Amino acid sequence: MSKAIYKIIISLLFVHISAVSFANVNELSDYYKTVRCLVCEGQSIQESDTEFAINLKEQIQKKYNSGISIEEINQELIKIYGEEISFNPPKYHILLWGTPLIVLLIIFIFIRNKIRFFNRV
Amino acid sequence: MKKHLLLPVVGLIVLVVSVIFYFNQSTNINNSRDEVSSLIFVTPDFYNNKLINENTLGEFYIVNFFASWCKPCLLEHPLLMEMKKKGVKIIGINFRDDEENFKEWINEHGNPFEYILKDDGTIAYEMGLIGVPETFFIVNKIIQKKIQGPLFYEDVESYL
Repeated sequence: MSKAIYKIIISLLFVHISAVSFANVNELSDYYKTVRCLVCEGQSIQESDTEFAINLKEQIQKKYNSGISIEEINQELIKIYGEEISFNPPKYHILLWGTPLIVLLIIFIFIRNKIRFFNRV
Repeated sequence: MKKHLLLPVVGLIVLVVSVIFYFNQSTNINNSRDEVSSLIFVTPDFYNNKLINENTLGEFYIVNFFASWCKPCLLEHPLLMEMKKKGVKIIGINFRDDEENFKEWINEHGNPFEYILKDDGTIAYEMGLIGVPETFFIVNKIIQKKIQGPLFYEDVESYL
């Protein structure tokens, strides 16, 4: 009986370790997809096989394995390489990208009002 | 507010906000390192196993990343040899290279470096390297200029 319990505990432990390492690998490869390869623009370091991408993946993995969080690694990467290294722009960029849409909306409202005005005339 | 004023006022507000965010973005981007990685001074020289003392390098020195597998590195090699002759101190950082290939490369083409460090990619990461060759010009311990790709005479003539 005790042997059976012992076997179950060992199996559960093994499953747990496998699940944790699988989750870590997933978290890292998800993160690699957000890091831009600077020598092959348009690709992430996850997709690229350049020396730059391979080295960056190794360095990130080393830091991650030593207990540094993805968020901290990301901040360090941006500090070293600048914001162009990240595919995820900071929030204030969204306002800049959204500005043309706001302007278009204003122009649309303006034209609609003008059309209504001329229709009344 | 009069209706005909609405559009210019909204446009002005959008413009002002955009300009503020543009300048905010510019100051955030320009934060890459301006000093060389401290790892350079704790990694022993490949040939004599001694650490580099930054104070003995003088006001101006160069950090050059190279590799034996890097073809463009050969383009700048004669220039590095000439700079060495003129007394410029160059720290060579051998980036992710096979040791035997690297030794053969140095024997075949000559050694322009005052010190050579082997790097598994950690120093390169800290220095923000994108590829080899890449060269950093250090004046009074501050990175004054960075050249990605092979060096040409125009890049170095003001330092000779």
